[in-house]
Amino acid sequence: MEPVFSLRIANRLLELDRVADAVEAFGEAHGLAAKLRYQLRLVLDELLTNTISYGYPEDGEHVITVSMSQDGSRLRFLLVDDALPFDPLTAKTPDLGAEADARPIGGLGIHLVRAIMDRVAYERVGGTNRLLLEKDI
Amino acid sequence: MQLVEKESGEVTVLELGGRLDSNTSKVLEDKVMEILGQGKKKVLMDFKDVDYINSTGLRVLLLALQQLKKIQGRLVLSSIKDYMKEVFEISGYTEIFPIFTTQEEALANFS
Repeated sequence: MEPVFSLRIANRLLELDRVADAVEAFGEAHGLAAKLRYQLRLVLDELLTNTISYGYPEDGEHVITVSMSQDGSRLRFLLVDDALPFDPLTAKTPDLGAEADARPIGGLGIHLVRAIMDRVAYERVGGTNRLLLEKDI
Repeated sequence: MQLVEKESGEVTVLELGGRLDSNTSKVLEDKVMEILGQGKKKVLMDFKDVDYINSTGLRVLLLALQQLKKIQGRLVLSSIKDYMKEVFEISGYTEIFPIFTTQEEALANFS
């Protein structure tokens, strides 16, 4: 498993630019299609935005680590934070078959993560959330 | 995010550009509310220069659609870049939004 990058970011939304830049840099260097680059950025954006926006009700400075590695045609991401426990696998997702008027407004981000990634695994270990995501390319 | 508002007959055209994300989507939401406040009912959002959208941006589109439907209005989308189309599909948006390849086709759909 070849490490691609490992970033330590603060719990602020502006930090997400650094993550997006790292994914773009990898994508460009390895000739990943625009759709895949966009979807990977989107997945990390959705998860990290959730964590930063809702995971720290008491605010304060926290560090989130975002790492990416590659094993042949498999891309693997690991997100580790000390935010409130949150398992995206058990989170409710919206009824996407509903008529426009009846569509709930929330929950779409997690649905996108689960639809785009091939595997998602969550564990809570010693006060940290560890989320492992894989995408076959 | 860039936002240019134009009128084409009865249709309000919003030409969008850049990123529609958690930092910027409020600008579009405020614009939609302003348009609704003016009693306008026909809206076209042109995504030609949008290179990124996340669920916060997608949520604003759904809000706009729901508000317009309440007053028998109409919201149509156009010019979404190919690499972003699948996310609109995964979101179920291709079922509830009329989506056209170009702004011209979208405008023709209103008449």
